[in-house]
Amino acid sequence: MTVQITASTGGIPHDKLMAAGLVGSVICLYLTYLNSATGTEVFSFFGGLAAVFALVWGTSTIKHLCSYGIGTGVPSAGMIAFGSGVIAMLLATQFNSMYLTPIMAVVFGAIVGGACGFLANNVMRMNIPVMVRSLTEMAIIGAIVLLGLTAVMAGGFGFDALSVKTISIMGILSTTSFGASLLGGCLIAVSFMLGGIALQHPFNACLGPGEKQDRTLTLAAECGFLSMIVVAVISFAFVASFAAIISLVVAIAGWYYTFVKYIEYSKRDAYAWLDAKPILEPKGED
Amino acid sequence: MSALGAASGGGEGINPTASIIGIVIIIAALAITAVMAAPALAAVIGVIIGGALIGFGVHFVPVGGAPAAMGQSPGIATGVAMLAAGAGLAGLFGGAWAAANPAFGIAIVIAAGAVGGGLMMAITCLMVNIVYIFGMGIPAASGKVAKDPITGDSQAEYKSQGTEGHGLPFVSYVGGVIGGLLGGAGGTLIYYELLQVYSAMLPAMFNASAEEILPIAVSLAGIFAVGMFLVNAVLAAYNITGTIEGPHDPKFKRFPRAVIGCAVASAVCGLFAVLIVVV
Repeated sequence: MTVQITASTGGIPHDKLMAAGLVGSVICLYLTYLNSATGTEVFSFFGGLAAVFALVWGTSTIKHLCSYGIGTGVPSAGMIAFGSGVIAMLLATQFNSMYLTPIMAVVFGAIVGGACGFLANNVMRMNIPVMVRSLTEMAIIGAIVLLGLTAVMAGGFGFDALSVKTISIMGILSTTSFGASLLGGCLIAVSFMLGGIALQHPFNACLGPGEKQDRTLTLAAECGFLSMIVVAVISFAFVASFAAIISLVVAIAGWYYTFVKYIEYSKRDAYAWLDAKPILEPKGED
Repeated sequence: MSALGAASGGGEGINPTASIIGIVIIIAALAITAVMAAPALAAVIGVIIGGALIGFGVHFVPVGGAPAAMGQSPGIATGVAMLAAGAGLAGLFGGAWAAANPAFGIAIVIAAGAVGGGLMMAITCLMVNIVYIFGMGIPAASGKVAKDPITGDSQAEYKSQGTEGHGLPFVSYVGGVIGGLLGGAGGTLIYYELLQVYSAMLPAMFNASAEEILPIAVSLAGIFAVGMFLVNAVLAAYNITGTIEGPHDPKFKRFPRAVIGCAVASAVCGLFAVLIVVV
């Protein structure tokens, strides 16, 4: 595609955003282990916050990568992020008994993403300086976002817990069902698309002349909370209602705050906007 | 970001060093599989073949991107990743339906996937041309060749000035269907091989019957197949760097390195997908 992709320079440096995103999201993922430590499910919402941290970081990465003009559109970067991320994430869930899942997700994501970046840059001869680093980051982000959204839905991310759901009948009998579990119902596909859209949309929507970093990143956080609202609704099927309500309230509050902020930034950056006022004529143009 | 606006060149030819490193990665992945999960070795080889098929198939699909939406270049007006994902997922549905029937062997399953992907691309190409011809009022004309390689129709008279051609010429249509067939077959091969591994190994892991565990096996194989499909499709798209008209486009000659790249990526992903049942 020959469409010129322009992005702003300056703002918070990408390295700083990456460090904040990586550390913030891994800490939030570890905070969801409070669920098993305290025997409740009310800390599930930290998974959603981890996803938001990772999405903000990911939007900055996409901006970095796509400013080189990869020619395939911004959404393709989001797709490869989650395509490689889901593989790393599912393998990492096997390490839950050792409390290693978030770390292993980062490690496996780095391996898959690094391989993809090497192939794209050297075998496909893209010759883009940030390609290897960006695709490595993208796979890690995909894995973290999927882990976070899964934690909101199911309260944790152990492979065994995700595969089996105990159904109690009339409160006395209980049976295990594989089909009714998070993996058996393939809800991972839902979080795949929710995360994918949240990752690829913000820069795609904001790119162009006059793109501002704070506006783009606010939109990323807004999209993350929007996806979190959906997974919080889904979580009513898997976690206690009280925990699901907490996740839903956090998601709606976060979405509302970021949405208002985003509209504010949009109005700041717009030449003019229709707010029950006539649009101003450009001055000094002709 | 000092390189703002700098376009990627997408250099020509095969990079021998990187390709050899890639082949070493494939061998290493196969060796790790053979040591850690010997019964799944055939499945990983199937995944690698499936990935290579997807990478090859993407090159047939006429991708127009944003210029095509404005009638300024031939092809379907969207990105490679979206188109390939559409065809591949449609193929996966067909293949998964066939795989659910134990009476069908691997050949029928893959054929069902190929037909699903091909059908999806055939319908897409037809509707794209209907919109181009009756909606936008532009004829189909290729900008890359003087004569359609299949029908022999001349193209130059129908090409508008200042464009690279427009619409979907016959050869692009045929290319799209071939791409859908290959992509659908590749995606289904990945799904089918992984499904065999999971339905064989998961029951022992959970101490449950094969029937009970089937939803998990189908779900895992499905999401891994989707993930690998997207990885391969986007890598192939990076190889094309944007738009391609179909098998007659000069960029089509770049396909060998996409086949190598997608095979390597599939080997790494396939190794991880198999490790999940042995770790």
